[in-house]
Amino acid sequence: MPRVDPQGRLHFKIVFWGPSLSGKTTSLRWIYNNVEGITKGRFVSIEDPTGRTLYFDYTPVSISSKVVFDLYTVAGQRRHKIQRRKVLEGVDGILFVADSDPAQLQENEISMTELRQLLGDKLGREIPLVVLLNKRDLPNAVSKETLLNALKIVPVNIRVYEGIAIRGIGVKQAFKAIVREVLWNYYQRAKQQKAQ
Amino acid sequence: MEPNVFEKILTRLIKSESGIRRAILVDRTGLTIAHASKFSSYYPIDVEGIGAIASAIFVGSEEQGKNLDIGDLQMVISEFENGKIFAISCGQGVLCLITDPDVNIGMIRLLMKRTAAELGKLLDEFLSATVSIPVEEKKEEEEELKAALDALEQL
Repeated sequence: MPRVDPQGRLHFKIVFWGPSLSGKTTSLRWIYNNVEGITKGRFVSIEDPTGRTLYFDYTPVSISSKVVFDLYTVAGQRRHKIQRRKVLEGVDGILFVADSDPAQLQENEISMTELRQLLGDKLGREIPLVVLLNKRDLPNAVSKETLLNALKIVPVNIRVYEGIAIRGIGVKQAFKAIVREVLWNYYQRAKQQKAQ
Repeated sequence: MEPNVFEKILTRLIKSESGIRRAILVDRTGLTIAHASKFSSYYPIDVEGIGAIASAIFVGSEEQGKNLDIGDLQMVISEFENGKIFAISCGQGVLCLITDPDVNIGMIRLLMKRTAAELGKLLDEFLSATVSIPVEEKKEEEEELKAALDALEQL
């Protein structure tokens, strides 16, 4: 459920999830630097000296005066599991950024399993999920089917985009998709609530 | 609930002890609920970003305490060269103060504990109230959601 701040603005929390170095921060930075027509706050990062996310990146963006999206990434490295769980609190939508590098196939699987364990049945139902298959330009990129099988994703139910985050390919589409799903999901639930 | 009730309480808190520069109230998901600052310390800061970090640090420290089995977290004090940051739990939120470096710590602790008790009740009431929005407000909200969906397609 979104939160309402004292100014009456609806806040939806969207978390960019995925294994270490899959491109979560790159995707969020690309959106922050390149998507026009959104009002942006500052970009906040808690990262280690090498530039890898230690806790999260965060930036608030709004596409209308009364609706704000609080965009977060998580730290992908396995040892940051507790921080990830904390960032996930109050989440309204997930953009899963998967890595097409064959060496990272198992890490993708582990990351998705962790997400499913944390959100349970809510994932993909109450909490919309969109998948961005990143690094599709790698010469040895795993096939889309292999990657989706590893993630146990059926593309009929979940929107899947192929992309190259460092060049912004597929990022905006995936971002728009998760925002749309989050808004639509809440809109439908609010309508149902009203009808009761 | 009065819309600026949180700001009023935070402003009162700032005025109650010299050395308090800013007060920020956040929930545990990182959302900034309210903030206030002393006029003399006014300069543009990224309140939402600061709120998100304050909330994350506090809930991260709470988790650390649980993992180490050392009980509930009372307060987080971060000391910097030119100031201090205090954070205390208040209901479903976290109250955060930014102070001068030489502030009276004992007094700040006392003030924060008192204020946290007051704010905690109000904040819990506020956060639970937002879950059940009255029908007329729902209609307005529906329009806002439609506007946001339209704006999204223009991106």
